[in-house]
Order: sequence, then structure tokens, then C-alpha cells
Amino acid sequence: MLTLIGRRLLHAPLTLIGISFVVFLLIRALPGDPVDFYVSQMGPQAQSAAAIAEVRAARGLDRPLLAQFALWMTAVARGDLGASYIDHRPVTEKIAEKLPRTLLLNVLALLCAVAIALPIGILTGARSGSWLDRSVNFALLLLFSVPVFWAALLLMDWLSLRLNLLPLYGIESDDVATMSSAERIFDRIRHLILPTICLAYGQLAFLARYSRSAVEESLTEEFVTASKARGLSESRILLGHVLPHALVPLVSLLGVVLPFLISGSVIVERMFQYDGVGNLFLSSILRRDYPVVMALTLLTAVTVMVANLLTDILYGVADPRIRVAGERE
Amino acid sequence: VSYVRPLLLASLTVALLAACAPSERREPAPAEKPPVVSSTPQDGGTLIRRLESDINTLNFVMHTTEYEKDVLSYIHAALVEIDKELKIAPGIAESWTVSPDGKLYTFKLNPAATFSDGRPVTARDVVFTLRKIVDPKSESVQLAGLYENLDLANTKAIDPHNVQVAFTQSRASQLYAFNIAILPEHFYARGNFKSAFNRSVLGAGPYVLREIKPGQTIRLQRRSKYWREIPPIETVLFKVLPDDDAAWNAVKRGELDEMQITSDHWKREKNDPQLQERLDFRRFYQLGYDFIAWNTKDPLLADPRMRRALASCLDRRSIISSLFHGTARIMTGPFTPDMWAYNSDVKAIEYGPDAARNVFEELGWRDTNEDGVFDKDGKPLEIEMLLAAGNTTSAAQAQVFQQGLEQAGARLKVTSLDAAALFERVMAGNYQATMLGWNLDLDPDLYSILHSSQTPPAGQNFVFFSNPEVDRLIEQGRLQLDEEARKETYRQLHALLAEQQPYTWTVQVSTKWAINKRVRNVEEANGLGLFYWHPGPLQWWLAAPGTAPAPEPAR
Repeated sequence: MLTLIGRRLLHAPLTLIGISFVVFLLIRALPGDPVDFYVSQMGPQAQSAAAIAEVRAARGLDRPLLAQFALWMTAVARGDLGASYIDHRPVTEKIAEKLPRTLLLNVLALLCAVAIALPIGILTGARSGSWLDRSVNFALLLLFSVPVFWAALLLMDWLSLRLNLLPLYGIESDDVATMSSAERIFDRIRHLILPTICLAYGQLAFLARYSRSAVEESLTEEFVTASKARGLSESRILLGHVLPHALVPLVSLLGVVLPFLISGSVIVERMFQYDGVGNLFLSSILRRDYPVVMALTLLTAVTVMVANLLTDILYGVADPRIRVAGERE
Repeated sequence: VSYVRPLLLASLTVALLAACAPSERREPAPAEKPPVVSSTPQDGGTLIRRLESDINTLNFVMHTTEYEKDVLSYIHAALVEIDKELKIAPGIAESWTVSPDGKLYTFKLNPAATFSDGRPVTARDVVFTLRKIVDPKSESVQLAGLYENLDLANTKAIDPHNVQVAFTQSRASQLYAFNIAILPEHFYARGNFKSAFNRSVLGAGPYVLREIKPGQTIRLQRRSKYWREIPPIETVLFKVLPDDDAAWNAVKRGELDEMQITSDHWKREKNDPQLQERLDFRRFYQLGYDFIAWNTKDPLLADPRMRRALASCLDRRSIISSLFHGTARIMTGPFTPDMWAYNSDVKAIEYGPDAARNVFEELGWRDTNEDGVFDKDGKPLEIEMLLAAGNTTSAAQAQVFQQGLEQAGARLKVTSLDAAALFERVMAGNYQATMLGWNLDLDPDLYSILHSSQTPPAGQNFVFFSNPEVDRLIEQGRLQLDEEARKETYRQLHALLAEQQPYTWTVQVSTKWAINKRVRNVEEANGLGLFYWHPGPLQWWLAAPGTAPAPEPAR
């Protein structure tokens, strides 16, 4: 196990440089640069050519592409991700401000989704083919197909506008400064409910169907027949034997989901004015704010690598056979 | 200072959302009490304003967007103000003189004027601000162009309250350029503008920055002592709300006091009696217009007859009635009816695809392969138009144009690009046509957009238009100090440009605003609307909850 981790860590810097270089080239390949964005905001009065030249020069945009990349890379190696081209704030500060929000929202949504999806999956997987299975399946398919922005509008319209139960948008209320800490936590939770629902329902439908088929498949395995022969109760078989078995593919799925937790959802964040990483990513790309885009890409790349490593380790935990194989290698 | 229309930052989701919003709108809670009409300004309260996009800086010298200007207009006072009649009015400068050759301006500062830290506004601060604006290091892309001809050597403080500003050339419109904030040297000389310091702000205006939550809110608080009339509202809270539907929901719920609304919202919601009870719907024309820019360098579009013929394929009446529900008017040239430069004798190009067909034939186009589209030398009569992605109104206008052109035997190919990509192609002259909008300056000077010397990168003549007579009139108009003579120059320019069609001026869409009725004394200035004139929003006041049918804020 340790050798596996060690080998992965050795490869990591090279992989990251490679990914960064590709993304660097990709974003530069987009037509237009930060100066074009500036100009696009200006009015019909005389431009100051000197000021515009300075905007380019101060950001090193007048240098050769490779030199720009080398500069960026060496700065990153020193731990300096640079400052935003647009508002001059340090990139790390911008991300540090938004990442916890996105993480909180996405982890919450994922936990909700898993918590609901697993029981549904087990239940329908165990009763596969029954009317319950079929109707739940149909409902899940419907849920999976509902577009997020539409669901968000509908929820806002009912729960916020008509019934006035929940806040419309934002992270906290305007008068949060006057609240006690308990009220503040409650206020935060109220603001999280709608975006969490919107993020969770799609994952829920997906995970439920996924775990259902995993359970269904496990039920055909010989150890189930053997367990039945030993006279174990159905619930014992399901929870004690089938579920751990069915969890293995689910774990690998979580490895895929993890990077999404930090990249955020542009639509949900935007609709609920939940100022997180997704919003930042989109606006940075539109404004050609290269340092922010590069930093977010790097962060995502690191997360993907960590997620892959974690998946492998978790695999080992969930299925000892893999661990043994990995160590013998 | 003016801006290209927000068409560029339009959200990707808005278009989708508008189409999918539940058609049946909620019924707002009925107001509990009838409004009590009160005309005495009430003191205090929190005004909640919308920011469509977060601010990038609070440094006046570096600001580029209207959102930043919205916030800064509360914190800063201008050297000279623009009043409700769009005339120059005293600001920090209580009076001024201009030398006969128009090159030397002397301002006498109001000795009572102070920054919010209590220190007086001095002549040194004025010189400091001008130096910072023209210093390329400040990246003052929005303002530096106004001071191209500034003669820094002869710009100096005469004494603490008198300052002279010199120019190497005179400009008829130069005084308008002094509608700028004055930055305190003792504060701004300390920090690097291109660092997090650009979020620090200190001004001579009536409000101070209280709190910024990046991406969420900006809270301003009224100064306890102010050297001019004290505005009635105690706190101004800006909320960053990019999404139109989310913002509209917030307005309906009373969580936002004002927002600009679209023509569709205007038509759909304005007549809802329950909304009318709580919201004040305003509609007015600002100094701005939409236009199709023709790249006159393109061989196909070099001939003004061609551009006129194409213009006659645009059914502007249909656009106004179907897209803007009658809330827009036809543009005939570069000036709007509210401007003194406007020439009312210029007629709009009438819609007539058949007439266009004749012109195409005169220009040698034939439909040789009988596919319904003219061709010449084996190439069809086709024009590519660039659009800003996400802007639904320009896409819809392009569709109407497409139909008109089709009837005339021409084709329109539409390409959508994001703002940076669109401007790269336009400024490089690598396009045929594009649909844009200008928000205009108060002065009608056209130098930077249509003078032949101002093709990119020098200026914004991205239609690469070059006409000696137009150049001559533009130069003449910039220098004329006699108002009547100047007016005649611009009338001629209006007529000549309408004839030449470097742009096809399409429509001027009125601005629509929904304002909570608890906000009182909301006035419009002709051509500017609600903002960017003095006192403008500084004279607003908020009716206390008992006096107005303000909805209960959600708890």
C-alpha cells in the first residue's frame, strides 16, 4: 500500500506541470485577452493607448508564451499563485474565500444524496422487478431529467415567494451582524436548504439507480445463495453481506464525484447568488483572468489526483483482495 | 464617462431562465394599509440597491464598470457636478474660469469641502488626481483618454483653494471631463493601486464605506458631518445579484428597492395591480443607442449605397413593436432626440427589401443560380454578423434582420462570441458586421469613434470609417466654443453620417426601472435617467414602514 502511495506522489509534480501547461495553452488559445475585456467595457471616448499598453505590460502579456508559462510555473513553485488581473487581489485569497462555501454546499448535497439513495437502492435492488421497484425507478428517471434551473425557479417560487418559508438567495441574511451565534447557524442552514436540494436531487437519482443495480447484481452471487442456505435472515444478508459487496463500485464512483465537490455548480451558485468557486471559475474565464483560471485548474487537478489515490486506498479497505494484489506487485 | 452596454456581460443562464420561468406569476401579499402620502423627507433607513456584477475596484482612477461607478458616486464628490438639466454645476469647485484660448482652466475650490476623514480638499489633491489619471501605471483606461492634451507642467496648485489646469489644445467639451472624483493625496499616495489597496476608498462625498463582503454586499454609511446638503438616507446597501430572475423575485419580496427591468418584464408585470401598489414603474430615455457596425474596410461594405441598402432591410418598426413592446424609438443617426446636436430633419431609412433588391442589382449583383440569393463572381451576397453570446435582444434583432435580408435576396450568417473574443475580432477589423450599443457621453463629440485617425489601436473607430468631410466637421465641432455655430456643425454631421451609414443606427430602447414605493423623491434627468447627476439618488428618502405599503421583509 505504501509503495503505491509513494509511487503516486513521485509522479504527481510531473503530472501537474503537464496539466498546467495544457490548460495554459488552452486558455491562451481562446480568442481575446484581458485587455480586450477591458476595452469591451469602455465607452466611445478617446482611449489612452499608453494606459492600455501598461495593462498588457504589467501582466507580462507582451512576452513570449513560453516565457509567460515559465514565469508562472516558477512563481507557483515558490507558492505564489499570483494576483487576479481584474481586481488585483491575491488568487489564494479569492479562492480561500469561496472554496469553503462551495465545499460545504457540495458535501452537504452529496451526503444527503447518499443518505437517501442508498436505502432506496437497497430496497429496490432487493425487490427488483416488483411494482415498487418499477415505480421508484420511473420516479428517479423523472427526477434525473428535471433541469436544475427550472427546479430552482420552481422551489424559489413556492417555498420562498408563495409560502415565505425560506430565503430566496444568498449565504446569510443582511442583518446577520445583529444575530446571536445560534441564530447565525440557523440562518446559514436556512440559506443552504434550497441550493442543497437542487444539487442533491440529480445525484440522488443517479446514485440510487447505481446502487440498485449493484445490489441487484450482488444478489445473484453465490455467497447470497450460501447465506440463504445457512438460514440467515434477508435483512442480515442485505446489510451484512450484499451491501459491503455492492459498495465497492460505489466507492470508485465517489472518487469521480470528489473533484466536482470543489469545482462547484455554476447554475446553482448563480441562481441562489451563492458566491462560490463555480461562479468564480466562469467569470474568470469570461474575463480572461488567467491567474485565477490557472489556480483553479491546478486545484482541481490536485483534487483529482488525491481522489484517485483515495479511491485506491478505499478500494483496498472495501475489498481486501485488491490490497493484497497491490502489495505483491 | 460612458460604457459599452452591459450586453457584453449578459448571463448565460438568463436567456434560458426567462423562457422557462413559470408563466403564472405569484400573487404578492396584499398591502395592509393604504399609502399615506407624505412629502416631508424622512431621515434614516437603509436603501437596498442592486449590483448586477461585483465590483473589481473601488479606486476611482481605475474603475471601469457602471457598477463601480454606482458605488463610488455615493463616496466621492465631483470637482464639477452635472445637474438635472445636464449642465455643469458647482461641486468641490465653487467657481471656475476658462482662458479665452480655452486652454487654461482655473478652479476655485469650496473651502468648506472636506474628505470623510475631516481633512480639507485642497488644490494639491486635484493635481494629484489628474497626475494619477494620466500616469499609465495607474491603468486608468476609462479616464486617461479625457486628459490626452493635459499639460502637466503647467497644471499646478496656485494656493490651497485655487488650482489651474492647462491643456496643450482646447476642447469644447473639456469642462465635462472635470466631472471626476477628487482623491485625497494623503490617503492614496500611500498605497499601490494595483494591489488589494484598490479596495480602500476615501472621498469627499456624503457616504463612507462601512463593509465589503466580496461577491455579496457593500454597505455604505452616511457621514456624520458633511460639507454639503446631508442626504436623508442613512445606509446604502448594495447587493450583488447577477441573475435577473433572482433580482426580480427580491424586488417583489421587498428585499431589493430598485432594479432595471427588461421590456418583457415591463410588459408582463407593469399592469399587475398588486405590483403597482408597491412598485413604481419608471420608463425614460438615456443617452445611448443600439447600432450595427459595418466594417467599411470590407470590400463588400465599402460602398455607402450598399450599407444603405442593407439598412433598408432592417424592419425597425417590427423590432420596436415585437421585441420592445413599443418602448423604443427609431434612431436616425449618431445623436438621440434628447441631445442638442440632434437634427430632426434627418429621416430614418425606411424598411423596403424591394428597394434594396434594386440597389443590389445596380451594384452588379445577380441571382445567376436562381437560389433566391444574389451572387457575384460565384460568391453569394452573404454577411457575417458577430453577436455577444447571451444577449437575447440582439439575437432577436438579428433574426428580424435575417428575414428582411432574405426577402431582398441576401443572407445573414450569425456568429456568437463572448465579450473578449468579440472585441478582439472587432478591434482587429476581422469582421463584417456586429451589433453593439453605446452609452454616450454628454458631449456629442464623435472624434474617437468616427474620425479617420482613430482606427484601432489608436481609438474606437472600429468600423474603419474614413470620410474627409466627416473628419473636417468632427474637428471643427471639437474646437468651436460658440454654441450656435457648434450646433450647426453637429446638425450637418448628423445628416452626413445618416447618408454614409458607417453604422446603421437601429433603435434607442428606453430604460425601465422598478422602484419600491417606499423610496420617495425619485427624479429623472432627461438623458441620464435616475443616476449620475447631482443630487440624483442623494435626494431620495425612505418612507417609514407606517407611511408606505412596504411588504414585510422575510424573517
